[in-house]
Order: sequence, then C-alpha cells, then structure tokens
Amino acid sequence: MTHDVWDGDDEAEAGRLVPLYILVNGRTSPRNTSLDLATQVIALPADQSRLELEYREILQQCNGWISIAEIGAYLHRPLTITKVMVDVLHEQGFLDIGSPAQEKIADRWLLETVLAGLQRI
Amino acid sequence: MKVVVAGGFGTGKTTLVGSVSEIPPLVTEEVLTQASIGVDDITGVEGKTSTTVALDFGRITISNDVVLYLFGTPGQDRFWFIWDELAQGAVGAIVLVDTRRLGTSFPAVDYFERRGIPFVAAVNRFYGECPYTEDEIRSALELDETVPLLWCDARDRASSKQALIELVRHALARLPATT
Repeated sequence: MTHDVWDGDDEAEAGRLVPLYILVNGRTSPRNTSLDLATQVIALPADQSRLELEYREILQQCNGWISIAEIGAYLHRPLTITKVMVDVLHEQGFLDIGSPAQEKIADRWLLETVLAGLQRI
Repeated sequence: MKVVVAGGFGTGKTTLVGSVSEIPPLVTEEVLTQASIGVDDITGVEGKTSTTVALDFGRITISNDVVLYLFGTPGQDRFWFIWDELAQGAVGAIVLVDTRRLGTSFPAVDYFERRGIPFVAAVNRFYGECPYTEDEIRSALELDETVPLLWCDARDRASSKQALIELVRHALARLPATT
C-alpha cells in the first residue's frame, strides 16, 4: 500500500525489525542530531570482534566514504535504525563522520564547485 | 550535498534520479512510526504496527570530497516528516510537473516556497507537446516570477543534468552578494 518497490522477503524483513531495535536499546533517534541521510561516514581501524554482526555489517560497507542512505539501502535496513546504529558506532570510535550537509548550505564556493562538476559530467 | 527531486505521484521523479545518477538508483526505506498516528487510517489493519515508505536516490561524484545526492520524495504527500529531513541542508529542489496533472505538483511548490528553499519547476515532457504555455503553468502553480520554469525530459540524461545546473545557478543567484 505505501511502498511501491520491495524486493525482499516480507516475512523475514518483518521478523528482523524487532532484533534491530533491541540492538540499539530501543533508541529511536541518534543523539547526534546533525546526522543526515547524506552524511558521509568511514570506518576507523579498530577491533570489531566484540561487535554484534549487524554493526559489523555496517562497518564492512564503510571502507571508503559512504552516506548513511547508501548503507541503509545496501543492507535493506530502515533509515532511522541505520542512523542510530551509525551514531552508536561513531560514539564508540568505530566510525568517523564527515561534515554534515547542513553546514554547507550557503557556501558559494561549494555551489560553484557543484556547478562546475555538473557541467563536466 | 543533497538535491531533492519532488513532484506529485507519477511525475517522473524516479526516472530523473535514474537518468543522471552514476550508480543505479538505490531504494531505501523508512519505517513509519508515531509521526503518522492520527494521519494514517489503519482501520481494518489493526495488526499492522509499522508501515514502510520507499525513498529512491542516486549520487553524482563532483570531486574527491564533494558528492551530490539526489533524493526522490515519496509520492504520497502525507509523508511530510520525511520531506523535512530531505529538505534540511539541501542545495534545493527540482519540482517535476506533469502537464496532464498540474495539481499534483502544487503541494511540492507550496512546500518549498513556504520554507524559502530554492527550487526550479521542471515540466516533464513525457508525451510530445505541452498543451499549456509557460504563463498558464506559472499561474496554475502560483509560481513566483523569480522561480525558474524549464522544460525537460526526465528520461534524458543531458536534460536532467540541465535541470540540476539550473537549480544550482538559481541557488547561487539567491545567495547574498557578499559571501
């Protein structure tokens, strides 16, 4: 009804939601409120052996800079949960976070860079 | 950086994202929770505790440290809370317009206008000629004269790219002169 693209197994996905929320201790929003769908993150070298599988899966996606939206899409996880998990990983020193999109809005230099970049492609 | 691609249901948002993105468009989902209580009529589906809404997006790498993300808004207007997240910090928006259903794009125009977010209106020419003049479309959408109105073909990469370029130019033009 409310989604028009679904390539996963409905029952399996529905069954997995609960454990994901348990993994983040029921947190429904990140403490770091500047996290955004387009925020870029990257894995830092750290011992991951004590992390839950679901967290390690996120780190595996982050060998290069990647946005939170992409992580959610590749792992088929809801965005809110992905954001909270990224926040947890960042707090614990597993991830580094790039500058948030919000800070750049009125930056002429950046807009000009984007414009030039678009004209090149 | 983000660009929001908005417009009514079926105006070609996914097509536009797909035509300019350097990766096949990705689909991600958001789970609807309290934000929709009282809005979503769940009568008859009492067992349903969450609803999923799909968001599609693409990316364009501008340089080593600048990546542009294009997010298509969910087709249903009631998911405003997602629009808020998408719009925050965005360069601006491309509002796609389908001339057969001009009204479906009005909520998007209204949304970005109210929030002072730069946007361009792009008339998507799916099927040949547009039956309206630019003035007719402007007045139907109550578009401010400063808002660029352009014609595009969302299936065509060059055309979608041009819409993006117009948007960034418009956003630049709106910046205060001394920055």
